[in-house]
Amino acid sequence: MKVKGFLKDVGGASRVTKARLEAFESASAAPVREDPIGDVARAWHPGRLRVKVDGIKTASPTAKSFRFVREDGGELPFFYAGQYMVIDFEIGKSVISRPYSISSAPSQARGKEGFVEITVRRSRGDGFICDHLNDNVKVGDVFTAQIGLGQFYYEPLRDAKHVVALAGGVGITPFASMAREVAAGRLDMDLTILYGSVVSTDIILKDELEALQGDRVHVVHVLSGDEPDWKGERGFLSAEIIKKYSAPDTTYFICGPQVMYRFLREELKKLDIPARRVRFEVFGQAKDITTFEGYPMELKDRTFKLTVRRGIHEDVIDAKATESLVVALERAGIRIETGCRSGECGFCRTKVLSGSVYVCPENDGRRAADRDFGYVHACAAYPTSDLTIKIPIE
Amino acid sequence: MKFYKDHYDVIVVGGALAGLSAALMLADKGKDVLVLERHNLPGGIATSFVRGGIEIEAALHEMMSIGDKDNRLKVGKFFDDMGVDVDWLKVPEAYHASLPGLEVTLHPGLERFAKEVDAAVPGTYDKVLRLLNLCHTVFDSVNELSIHPMSKPMMLLKHEAFVKTAGYSTKEVLDTFQLPQKALDLLAPYWIYVGSGFSDLPFTIFSVLMADYIGYGSFIPRKFSHEMSLKMAERAEAMGVQIEYRQQVDKILVKDGTAYGVRTARGDEIHADYVICSAYPNKVYTSMIEPASAVPAGAVKMVNGRRLSLTAFSVIMILDQPAEKLNIRDYSIFRGDTMDTDALYKNLAGLGPYRYLTCICHNYGNPDCTPEGTCSFSITVLPRVDGWKTVKAEDYDAVKHRVAKQLIDDMSAYFGVNLLDHVLELVIETPMTVARYTGAWNGCIYGYAHTMEDHIIARLQTAEAERFIKHLEFSGAHAISGDGMGPAVTNGRKAAKNVLDTMAEEAAK
Repeated sequence: MKVKGFLKDVGGASRVTKARLEAFESASAAPVREDPIGDVARAWHPGRLRVKVDGIKTASPTAKSFRFVREDGGELPFFYAGQYMVIDFEIGKSVISRPYSISSAPSQARGKEGFVEITVRRSRGDGFICDHLNDNVKVGDVFTAQIGLGQFYYEPLRDAKHVVALAGGVGITPFASMAREVAAGRLDMDLTILYGSVVSTDIILKDELEALQGDRVHVVHVLSGDEPDWKGERGFLSAEIIKKYSAPDTTYFICGPQVMYRFLREELKKLDIPARRVRFEVFGQAKDITTFEGYPMELKDRTFKLTVRRGIHEDVIDAKATESLVVALERAGIRIETGCRSGECGFCRTKVLSGSVYVCPENDGRRAADRDFGYVHACAAYPTSDLTIKIPIE
Repeated sequence: MKFYKDHYDVIVVGGALAGLSAALMLADKGKDVLVLERHNLPGGIATSFVRGGIEIEAALHEMMSIGDKDNRLKVGKFFDDMGVDVDWLKVPEAYHASLPGLEVTLHPGLERFAKEVDAAVPGTYDKVLRLLNLCHTVFDSVNELSIHPMSKPMMLLKHEAFVKTAGYSTKEVLDTFQLPQKALDLLAPYWIYVGSGFSDLPFTIFSVLMADYIGYGSFIPRKFSHEMSLKMAERAEAMGVQIEYRQQVDKILVKDGTAYGVRTARGDEIHADYVICSAYPNKVYTSMIEPASAVPAGAVKMVNGRRLSLTAFSVIMILDQPAEKLNIRDYSIFRGDTMDTDALYKNLAGLGPYRYLTCICHNYGNPDCTPEGTCSFSITVLPRVDGWKTVKAEDYDAVKHRVAKQLIDDMSAYFGVNLLDHVLELVIETPMTVARYTGAWNGCIYGYAHTMEDHIIARLQTAEAERFIKHLEFSGAHAISGDGMGPAVTNGRKAAKNVLDTMAEEAAK
């Protein structure tokens, strides 16, 4: 065969080899370390940072807002309104992590004066980290945190321009962030927040939300409790009220307690809304795993032996049937990375080497192949026998 | 607490396809291997994620070098030999080409493909088949020579086509066939998977690409590329490999010109006889070797003398209608306003509007991959890193949405359906996403560009001289075989083979 002529054809390999070596010979010998694409990735997702409490404010009679800056004075990461941050709490020998929706706007995190804020309500006796924050944390305290996680944010290529936010209780926080960003002219959507509370003193960030009311931000309080002087909307976030504040094409964002999700799923069905227009925030760790379908009630009082492998190291700890593997690990002082604690983000992806678990069916965000090979998201998996797991070394 | 053994035979940095392939091959030979992966999953970009309860493929369009069960190609055979039992699905077509004046669906099989080109551009059958056969002959030679090297005269005798086309670009060889432009256009779409314009793309690479994909078709794993990555990792662990996730390697430790271990971001110093590294040589030689003085000047000149190839931008959608209702009728659509690959390559240096798009509807290869009544549809452009290097963190979101919108609008116009009216889930992957999850240098997924100045044959000729640090091997898209998930496996195996050969040589001394 012939391409251009015998000599030229057979000399090809030598020719290209020479060309390559010549290119190297004429190249600079100065190391080039610039990785600007990696730099942008790190500006948005720097991983764990040290942050310092810079201010604490009352957000309602039972809730406080905590403002954080970077301990080293550096810039905070970029994020989207509606995302959360994970804070690590060192309590005794344990590190316990919690996700909190960021209630400040992404634009407030920019610049030298930038900050992020979360708003946390005292629990009703079942949330000792929330209470710890409200009771013990003070200005100047330093934490490790990851800022800007989660999928609960407005996506202009997916969502309708008109957004109705359905908030319950402390579920107002991601919407406070969105409202602030819209009011600052940094997020192009029309936001109507329907905020359900029992009585007006339960309303979190009431004054802050009031100050944001404007052309593109509307806040409508809906009270279900007995408050004779209340002039606004009453009842629950029913189909009727939702409809009243909807535009013909509306995306619904929903954040609140688990009971509200169950109620709203039924209400939204009545309105015949396309699936693509409804977005639920993950609801966090199941409050009582025994209430979920298929939970093996006969095991609920058992404590199992949990063997934990990290590298070639092994520990054996106790694990209660009604507590997730993550909680068992945290109790035992074994560090595990967590994000959403709702089975979605997969940060706590864990291999079950032997034994069995119950996976919370509403928090099962696993990949199909992971299921086949016994991987679980440890925040949503509960022991149903003695078991051995492998987790990453932290 | 002690998490690692005192010593390993080999530490593999990076648990993606190349690293896992290397680990499998070494474990198969009884070596004690540690794999350190920075993410909490295996696979690198060969992975999937879940949004709104739906699992979504992150990167794989189609896997080459697999072959049907009874006629495996090298990567498929390697998986079979290693006991990595992937549930492969054959992609039904080669591609639908949507090019100026052409709307043609082409299928694998050299003769079938040539017939289909002939139906669109009559009178081209013989020439196209002759070209494809030439590609196949070169492909066979590449595979043969990668296992059994031979002397130059012997090569000329037995692998004439390979030798005689080696020094030419794709354009130079294609020109000799004197095909009409439309036929050339129909042969060109896959160029993007090797990422250089035809005047700079070695014909050798074009041959391998065409013979492999057109000759044998392509495959995807039923449970997304995560199935493949996970099965490799699981198999490696079953063979005794220790894999540790969330462990980023910061330093490769070198003494007397020989690598002897690594240090992780966590601070663990781990020792081994050999290190196989998936991080880019650019990063390794400029900031990972400890001490830095162990880096020879030639290594830095080498990385500076090479051109980074392509990165990836994808907008992936789950749509709330079955594909056919949205006029999406093919697994794979290549759409461009020209098939002048040199012009398209130039266009890829910017930030759009991009002129050449690659679309995948996985449902046509894997019907049950999304819930009933929905489909998955992704639009990908594979830009050069140049444009994306100029994007600032504060502008990143606006740029990514602008580019995504252009891609969606272009394809909406093509289908006559506004895809934006049907979005259940939408994810935008950018070069920064690649950098975030894999740490790849400048988010580059393709390694170094296949060019006439960085020809695969030249890479093979000079490979020995470029092993600058003893007992340190490179695997990944930046290694000799270049980009793609199939070549990643080959790159990993080559690194493992180098280690095994060195072990044998040193034992013999």
